[in-house]
Amino acid sequence: MSLRAFVQMAIAQWTILRRSMVFLVVSLMIAAMSMGVFGWLFKPDAQAFHLAVVDQDGTEPSQALTQSFGDLDNVKLSKQSLEKEMSKLRDGDRGAVLVVPEGFAAATQQGSAAIDVFYDNSNPIRIGYVISTVEAVVNGYNERVLGQKDAVKLEQQAVSTESVRFIDFLTPGMVGMTIMFTNLFGGQLLVLWREQGILRRLGVTPLRPGILIASQALTFATVSLAQVAIILLMGRFIFDVPIHGNYLWLAVTIFLGIFAMLAISYVIGSFLQTANAVNAVINLIAFPMMFLGRSYFPMDPPAALNPVVQAIPLTHLNDALREIINHGGTLGDLWVSWAVLAGWIGANYLISMRLFRWQ
Amino acid sequence: MGALTLQANEMTGTAAPEQDRSTLHIAVDGLTKRYGPLVAVDGVSFAVHRGETFGLLGPNGAGKTTTLEMIEGLRRPDAGRITLLDMDAVRHRRRVQERIGVQLQSQALWPELTVEETLKTFQSLFRRRVPVDSLLERFALTDKRRALVRDLSGGQKQRLSIATALVNDPAVVFLDEPTTGLDPQARHSFWDLIRDMRGEGKTVVVTTHYMEEAEALCDRVAIMDLGRIIALDTPGRLVRELASESTIEFGFPETEARAELAALAGVREIRHEDGDVLLFTDDASATLGALIRFADQKGQQISSLSVRTATLEDVFIKLTGRSLRD
Repeated sequence: MSLRAFVQMAIAQWTILRRSMVFLVVSLMIAAMSMGVFGWLFKPDAQAFHLAVVDQDGTEPSQALTQSFGDLDNVKLSKQSLEKEMSKLRDGDRGAVLVVPEGFAAATQQGSAAIDVFYDNSNPIRIGYVISTVEAVVNGYNERVLGQKDAVKLEQQAVSTESVRFIDFLTPGMVGMTIMFTNLFGGQLLVLWREQGILRRLGVTPLRPGILIASQALTFATVSLAQVAIILLMGRFIFDVPIHGNYLWLAVTIFLGIFAMLAISYVIGSFLQTANAVNAVINLIAFPMMFLGRSYFPMDPPAALNPVVQAIPLTHLNDALREIINHGGTLGDLWVSWAVLAGWIGANYLISMRLFRWQ
Repeated sequence: MGALTLQANEMTGTAAPEQDRSTLHIAVDGLTKRYGPLVAVDGVSFAVHRGETFGLLGPNGAGKTTTLEMIEGLRRPDAGRITLLDMDAVRHRRRVQERIGVQLQSQALWPELTVEETLKTFQSLFRRRVPVDSLLERFALTDKRRALVRDLSGGQKQRLSIATALVNDPAVVFLDEPTTGLDPQARHSFWDLIRDMRGEGKTVVVTTHYMEEAEALCDRVAIMDLGRIIALDTPGRLVRELASESTIEFGFPETEARAELAALAGVREIRHEDGDVLLFTDDASATLGALIRFADQKGQQISSLSVRTATLEDVFIKLTGRSLRD
């Protein structure tokens, strides 16, 4: 009988949600928009990129070549030492490093000059743009200055940088943040129903609070999963963010995240009387969580804040998501985060059940 | 409806309403609820028999709703016992709730669900279920089954709200101020619905602050004030015992005449209200004759004279010295 009540309550809530189109559309739009905005914001070909030219020849032709890069609007030219520029490249701060070797001027006379190009291949979207820019400049230089095609050849060499692209880092963080925001509002719905007297009405039926909460959790989980799917699919097919890890572990992590956030929201809901108050408190805790939980920035918090950061469920949700999506993490990498999330779920569920009231 | 009732009776073994009225469906003993220093319900005791329609009457804040909420399992009493259908209603809350139907004061329905979805959702919460179609038909909602609750009229919402209280074919139905805010016509068709429930042998507990409603519907009435029951009997006996038979109400300019008016033939009591004089009398014709002679003597005009038989309203005024709607 409880199962029947559970299924019918879940259907009813899903229907309500479906008919409150604003909520549904907004939550799915938020997922698509944040992915779109951040994806394109950090898609480098929309921006100028840093290009380094290390001129080891120091002759008039080599300087002319360097200058033709400097003339481009979308290129920020940098001319430090080879060592410095290569280390910048490895940090992901340079689109490419061009090395004009000694004897370049002499070699152009014989039509057999070459320059070395080192580019950052960790960002496949940027590579294409950088290389085509470099090729266009060199071709132009060949024809205009030397009057001969292929006078200067490009010797291309990829340098794989260690750092994960920002969009790779961002995608799991966005999944975590979306899970947090959507599910923190579960408690708000409960308080709204209490305000409207609907909980009172349900309270005079044999419905158990646990069944009500579970059916609500299922409804919110459905919305959350749709959002997560949008983000991950956009990531995969538009921004080329691969999922390296196991899909089962990913699903486990996502569900733990959903239930941890819901459990927190129900504790908040048990203390507060009005949906507006719940809304305010949710924002009050969501924003610090969002930043301290490393949704957007890989940050090193001050030591004093470290215990807080480590206690925040979003930190562990994001960590686990990054382990799986970025690094193909396995159980050994995940169990700590899972344990912390499970702890939040258990403790908050017990508290909210103790404090539950129909009116 | 007949078939449905029969089916329900078979399931519960409920006897026809006329038989066995001696069985108690509700027994409340010493029920008390405090909110800080305020005693909202103060040692309330009463019993309701199977098949009886029982009214709780009183002004707002008298403790009617709190009393009901404790019986329905929404609030825990601070003291006292509640026995419902032979079960301890506090200890076996859910088992009791399985067998009762409740309509709350506020129509707590989901605006985004249709009529049919609403009934199905409430139905899913109970073991015993009345078919949705028969409820729709009975409450004249069949052609509204796919309409959203937010698009219903006030009367339709109210009918749906009652229908949700009957999805489990309850043995006891609680209705908290079911006709507040309804126009007279809707109220009267509502009374018919309540009489139907009674005809099916259901025990009905209804709170109201409309006197005529209690008189029209209830077998017995408990009058509550300040958290206590101050009178409990059939409406007829309450009126006969506590109030004078008739009330003569009129405007009279001379206020010093109070003592003389009180001394007129048949007058049991006199009261002044909003510049009007109320004479409570056991012999309306004698008092009226005396009153008219008295006015002639004094050379004063009597304005807006009315004579009416006593009602529960008069009983309440008599008991508390206040009007019900204060």
